[in-house]
Amino acid sequence: MTCLRTEGITKEFPGVLALDQVDFELAKGEIHALVGENGAGKSTLVKVLAGVYKPSSGRIFVNEAEVSFASPRDAAPYIGVVHQERELVPFYSGTANLFLGQEMNKAGFLSKREMRAKALEFMKRYDLDLDMDSPVSLLGSGMQEMLTILKILFRSPDIVIFDEPTAPLSVKECEVLFRLIRDLKAAGTSIIYISHHLPEVLDLADRITVLRNGKIVATVDKASVSEAEIIKLMIAKDLSQQYPKIELEPGQEVISVESQAEPGGRARKSGFSIRAKEIVGFAGLVGSGRSELAKRIFEGGPEGRYKVNLAGIPFAPKSPKHAIANGIVMIPEDRRGEGLITSFDVGANLALPRLSLLSKFGFRQEKRIRQRSGQIIGDLAIKVFSQNQIVSTLSGGNQQKVSLGKWFDADAKLWIFDEPTQGIDVETKSEIYLIMQRLASRGAGIWFISSDLRELEAIADRILVMHEGEIVGKFARPFQTEKILEAMLGNQKNEEVHA
Amino acid sequence: MNVNKLLTRYGTVAALCLLFLLFSIGVQGFFDYGNIINILTQIALLMIIAQGFTMVLTVGELDLSFANVASLSSVIVAGLIIKGVNPILAILICLAGGVLFGLVNGTLVTKVGIPSLITTLATGIVANGLIYMYTKGVSFYSGLPKGFLYLGRGRIGPIPVLVLIMLGILAICHIFINKTVVGSNLQATGGNPAAARLAGINTRFYKVLGLVLGSFAAALAGILLTSRLGAANPEGAGGFLMEGFAIVLLGQTVFTVGRPSPIGTFVGALIIGVLNNGLTLLGAEYFVQDIVKGLIIILAVVISSIQSKRMGA
Repeated sequence: MTCLRTEGITKEFPGVLALDQVDFELAKGEIHALVGENGAGKSTLVKVLAGVYKPSSGRIFVNEAEVSFASPRDAAPYIGVVHQERELVPFYSGTANLFLGQEMNKAGFLSKREMRAKALEFMKRYDLDLDMDSPVSLLGSGMQEMLTILKILFRSPDIVIFDEPTAPLSVKECEVLFRLIRDLKAAGTSIIYISHHLPEVLDLADRITVLRNGKIVATVDKASVSEAEIIKLMIAKDLSQQYPKIELEPGQEVISVESQAEPGGRARKSGFSIRAKEIVGFAGLVGSGRSELAKRIFEGGPEGRYKVNLAGIPFAPKSPKHAIANGIVMIPEDRRGEGLITSFDVGANLALPRLSLLSKFGFRQEKRIRQRSGQIIGDLAIKVFSQNQIVSTLSGGNQQKVSLGKWFDADAKLWIFDEPTQGIDVETKSEIYLIMQRLASRGAGIWFISSDLRELEAIADRILVMHEGEIVGKFARPFQTEKILEAMLGNQKNEEVHA
Repeated sequence: MNVNKLLTRYGTVAALCLLFLLFSIGVQGFFDYGNIINILTQIALLMIIAQGFTMVLTVGELDLSFANVASLSSVIVAGLIIKGVNPILAILICLAGGVLFGLVNGTLVTKVGIPSLITTLATGIVANGLIYMYTKGVSFYSGLPKGFLYLGRGRIGPIPVLVLIMLGILAICHIFINKTVVGSNLQATGGNPAAARLAGINTRFYKVLGLVLGSFAAALAGILLTSRLGAANPEGAGGFLMEGFAIVLLGQTVFTVGRPSPIGTFVGALIIGVLNNGLTLLGAEYFVQDIVKGLIIILAVVISSIQSKRMGA
């Protein structure tokens, strides 16, 4: 029996078709996994189902009755969503969070004792052991995640969506979560499960739906499919097309960074360098200090442990302006927040750093600005109606092209890319890789931070792994994925070169 | 362009035209050369001071001190001239004082890191203290030379000097913001300080510059106020604070919704000027004028925020 069905769901954002005629079906009491690459449309579909986005067209049926969700509040009675971001009141206890919005009371006074008893009982039902009395902000992230899930189950929706639930969990907590999901299924709840981690998906799901570029490619039974087959469905092109790689002979050293040993002894002396025509990947977990290190070099900061040389000449980072003058540019991770002036149009954003070069006596020379911006738009194949289009209306990939295109005349020796392909469609990703390599072939060094190990291994010439602010591993081609992953987790303390 | 976009961009201008039309038809003596010049003269000082505030908002800061700076400049220019200082020198001293005041605001905001709302609230109070220290609470009302009064009261042909100054400042501000590198960087700084900084723009400098221009315009308006009235009193420019805010907010609903612009501020000033004048001619009592003005501002902002939300969705 079908408990949730979509018919021709389409969601359009300016310049991007995020969902294209999606017919999805969830049977009662099944665990249905959604897989696909970043930007395939998984989270957009979840947001449509949860009432966060209104679909551009298409219909949603719950138990064969058509529904229309104008807001998450409308969807909540039918569908509970465990998001990546937690929705707990930090200074409330677990119990208070559980009852949030539906507190038990007598004549308006909270019945705290009853609520606590009921919360504990509910927790026991799922065989969990959580601290329900302390403010949740004092609990670990795994415990918070479990509480979030408990809070959603407490509202007993018929359908629960788990969106990458295992990301913040330890191995042991994952096992608890899987058990809980199976219990839910046994109790007749229908589950949509989203994860990047395919072994997990194959272990848990009954059926698997693969999304690619906003379309459903296939829905398969778990029994009839292997991991390799799923990967094949997820990626349209073969790898060499998706990750175009141009081999280049590295030239002179562009930058060298040396960090001094800390007197206390926790951090050891370490260092690295990037050469011209070389792409150096920076791998690491979230919070491993990759962006911070790059920002230190580009933005400056208090006198630190780092000694930087640019082409052999000592360089003391001061400000972005100073770094740019010395041939360093950075494309920040947060495109909208740091890479673009979203209220400006495309042409003005592209001209931003070199406005004074395109002016006479302080007056902007509009014709020259528009002409040069037009060339960059053509060069990078940025999809716009006109230069006067406000940059916030562009798709993520085109925004990224504008964010990096503004540096095309900066004559930079070192380009720092911080997560340049995050949230970008597959097609544009390949274009960005090509742009990076084109820059390298012109003699620039590329500092490439990414959380996507697959793209790092495909595009980078060398990979440096960071953990807790330190460089803990250096890897050369051919890369050994397991060793890199170990280093990312901090399991490898000696910094050695693996070839 | 669809109706929504048209309404968003030109709604405020349309409202101004509508008001103008209604008053022209319904109110005797409104549509008359003398009266229209009168309206322009009435809004001139407010428009000049509000152009400064527009610059402050452009860099994403606030200024609560500009009215007090204007009053301070107003009494000091009067005091100096009456004491026998050359009027041109007195004017320059006051303008320099305005710049200095803006530098203090800017330094406190960018170097010390106090939010501009609090900084300028405090420095505004200090300015008020300085006014009373200088005047002992007494007004200056005689002994200003004719040449100085010409600025505020004179005419070139049929047009008051004050109106010409206002239009000149409007033109300068418009060109400055839209055609120069500095103006563009001011907008980038207000639009997204983090991105502007990472693009190599010295955002601190531009924030200071915005605040300096705000105080400079206030000092200029104070000087012109004294010239127009032929007198200066400690609270002379006090009313500019609320009205200045109001017209810049109204101005933010013009053309580029949600962003301040010199032309927008001018349109805002015209709306307030036309309303004041028309209602006075109608014989409405002063409190009716305030109520109507307040409601119109709310209405304009509500309409534009609904429109811009709809555009975003």
